[in-house]
Amino acid sequence: MEVRSQIAMVFHLDKCIGCHTCSIACKNIWTDRKGTEYMWWNNVETKPGTGFPTQWENQDKYNGGWVRTEGGDLRLKSTDKARVVTNIFHHPHQPSLDDYYEPWTYDYQHLFNAPEGQDQPTAIPISLVTGEYLDIKAGPNWDDDLSGSTVYAENDPNLAGLSDEQKGQLSAIERLVFFYFPRICNHCLNPACVAACPSGALYKRGEDGIVLLDQTRCRGWRSCIAACPYKKVYYNWSTGKSEKCILCFPRLETGQAPACFHSCVGRIRYLGVLLYDASRLEEAARSDTEDLVEAQRSLILDPNDPAVVEAALASGVHESVIASAQKSPVYKFVKIWKLALPPHIEYRTMPMLFYVPPMAPVMAQRSGGRGGTVDGVSGDLFHDIEDARVPMKFLANLFGAGNEGPVRYALRKQKAVRWYRRMLTVGDVDAATAERMLREADCTPEEADAIYQLTSLCTFDDRFVIPPMHREEAIAMLEDPMEHKQGAGFGFISRPKRGE
Amino acid sequence: MNAPFGRWWASALAVALALALATPGAARAQDATAYFKQNCVSCHTIGGGRLTGPDLKDVTARRDHAWLLRYMPNPKALIDAGDPTAVQLFQEARGVLMPSLPGMTPAMVDAIISLIEAESKLEKSQFVGVQISDRPFTPQDIERGRAIMRGDIAQLAGGPPCLSCHTVRGVGALGGGRLGPDLTKVYERLQGRKALSVWLSAPATSTMQSVFRDTPLDADEILPVVAYLEEAARQGGEDSGFGRVTFLLLGLGGAVVLLAGMDGAWRRRFRAVRGPLVEDAGFGRAHARGGDR
Repeated sequence: MEVRSQIAMVFHLDKCIGCHTCSIACKNIWTDRKGTEYMWWNNVETKPGTGFPTQWENQDKYNGGWVRTEGGDLRLKSTDKARVVTNIFHHPHQPSLDDYYEPWTYDYQHLFNAPEGQDQPTAIPISLVTGEYLDIKAGPNWDDDLSGSTVYAENDPNLAGLSDEQKGQLSAIERLVFFYFPRICNHCLNPACVAACPSGALYKRGEDGIVLLDQTRCRGWRSCIAACPYKKVYYNWSTGKSEKCILCFPRLETGQAPACFHSCVGRIRYLGVLLYDASRLEEAARSDTEDLVEAQRSLILDPNDPAVVEAALASGVHESVIASAQKSPVYKFVKIWKLALPPHIEYRTMPMLFYVPPMAPVMAQRSGGRGGTVDGVSGDLFHDIEDARVPMKFLANLFGAGNEGPVRYALRKQKAVRWYRRMLTVGDVDAATAERMLREADCTPEEADAIYQLTSLCTFDDRFVIPPMHREEAIAMLEDPMEHKQGAGFGFISRPKRGE
Repeated sequence: MNAPFGRWWASALAVALALALATPGAARAQDATAYFKQNCVSCHTIGGGRLTGPDLKDVTARRDHAWLLRYMPNPKALIDAGDPTAVQLFQEARGVLMPSLPGMTPAMVDAIISLIEAESKLEKSQFVGVQISDRPFTPQDIERGRAIMRGDIAQLAGGPPCLSCHTVRGVGALGGGRLGPDLTKVYERLQGRKALSVWLSAPATSTMQSVFRDTPLDADEILPVVAYLEEAARQGGEDSGFGRVTFLLLGLGGAVVLLAGMDGAWRRRFRAVRGPLVEDAGFGRAHARGGDR
């Protein structure tokens, strides 16, 4: 057992209102510079939809992530040692600017400078890349709220395996259904971007697992951009280097939540430390596709287990980090309650951002023969989950590598907690039904209370359990802390003649 | 105890004496011989007749010792100063200037003069020059020489073909290398068969020396090469530069063909995702119209 610590995240999709405040918070802090205008380290997508860049989940086009060979080994889909050389000047699988969008601003001066005429002057869009007037063809959230679009929503790769009837229900006029899918870098345990970099510029920080890109070592080969299946590394055309989400590590190191977490209006974001067994990582990443969710979960260790604590201390994890892991909300969501699931674990990068799959719309189950679209009460409540307006298969493609089991489990438990809370607060559900539902959902009243507490009444400190980062220990491994001893203090701009 | 010490002392003294007496003289003679072999024999013989430079047999009798001491380290200085003997020698060599050689110190000049004196007295000096058969050249010689020049026939010692660095008029469509001088007229420049043969057996420039030091031309290879160069000089004309243009055009043409081939082989390298998606949904035309605006 080789214990390492990882800052992990949970996004509760049932709480996301799609306001994009997270995206704006991130943009204002990190990507408001020349060359970064088109980057959205944090973006919010509408599902069904094609996301940003367009159809990023279509790995037939983008070749991201890992694939398992016949022999059971993992290899990058986008590159290998030979292809690093042949593709070194042009990587055919990376998104083009058109697949992102050409960033623009507006020529506001035109409102004031336009010559007098018959029409009201307008602020004409102007490209932030070329500086020319621009005919806008796409944007970073171009299909925002556009479920039912025959261009975008219909081409969501997660619709694979759905029946035509199910697809029709998703996009029926006036009965559209969609949910929001906010995304940042997953800070994966088995990051494809790190593996693909020919310059060794990408690395996973040892003490907290944040994946960073060293701007001095990056040579702009862009292998990471093709390799990352989530398309969360971006190329800065101005500096010639790539950039990515840094999980606001300067904020984390000073005990603050990352900007997108901090600003989240729906309070959907949770952050905390997980302890995991790095020695079993490769084995887990090589599991069969249907076992991947469980295999990744099995890597996460119980921070209260004395054996784990001992091994963690032996591996150099600080005891304050272990104490933080014991309070981690992420550990509860992912490991204890099994409510949160990794996105597209079939890419085998072992993402460390987990999603609680959405129940919404809560009262709008399809009601078999009764004609209506809204029908809150039915004989068999769990049956409604099977008939949810967002088909199970669609969610399974997103969060279960096509496997419906873990998604069904998470939805049933969420549903049971709701009915249990309804029994307590509204009282129109009898206690026997609520308790039967809890039992069938593998839940207890105590657990239901805890889930309710962390979902609905959570404070800042409940959601963000930020460990002390102990940068001093990490730095001491790389540099001699005594290096500047007796060397610091006053200096001279020009030395005095005497006293030399 | 006394006896062994005495014996040791005596033998040490003997060795020291032998070193003190023998070393300087012997070393100087050896140095001069090696130096002469390396630097002089490509233009001079001792008793072997004139090459580019005069036969040095009995030169000490012909020239004043003091004059030799001034001339040998820096011939150009004397010619520039208008010394009649030096100017005459320069003209006899048909304008080939004797170079100022590094290492030609006054001590070395003395040693070389002694060496020439000693060798002149011998029946047959070791510096009589390479004895190349003076039978007339046959067309076979010329053909073989051409093949050796071009590298069609590998040299016995494995040296590089002349064409890697030199060109001769008419040697091939692209001409030869451009690193060394054009060899079309070298037969005339070096004044004929004997001088050229000696040059080829012991090249005098440092570039040629470094290339051919370990892989000298065989005596059997020198004759055909000289035959070919004689033929080339007789045909006359310098390299026209035609090869240079052809080479450039071929390079450009090759680059175009290569780029076109790569463009064909990787024609799927621009794979857009969003564009085709929109077009396939039937919005392509509307977008095209938008783009025209």
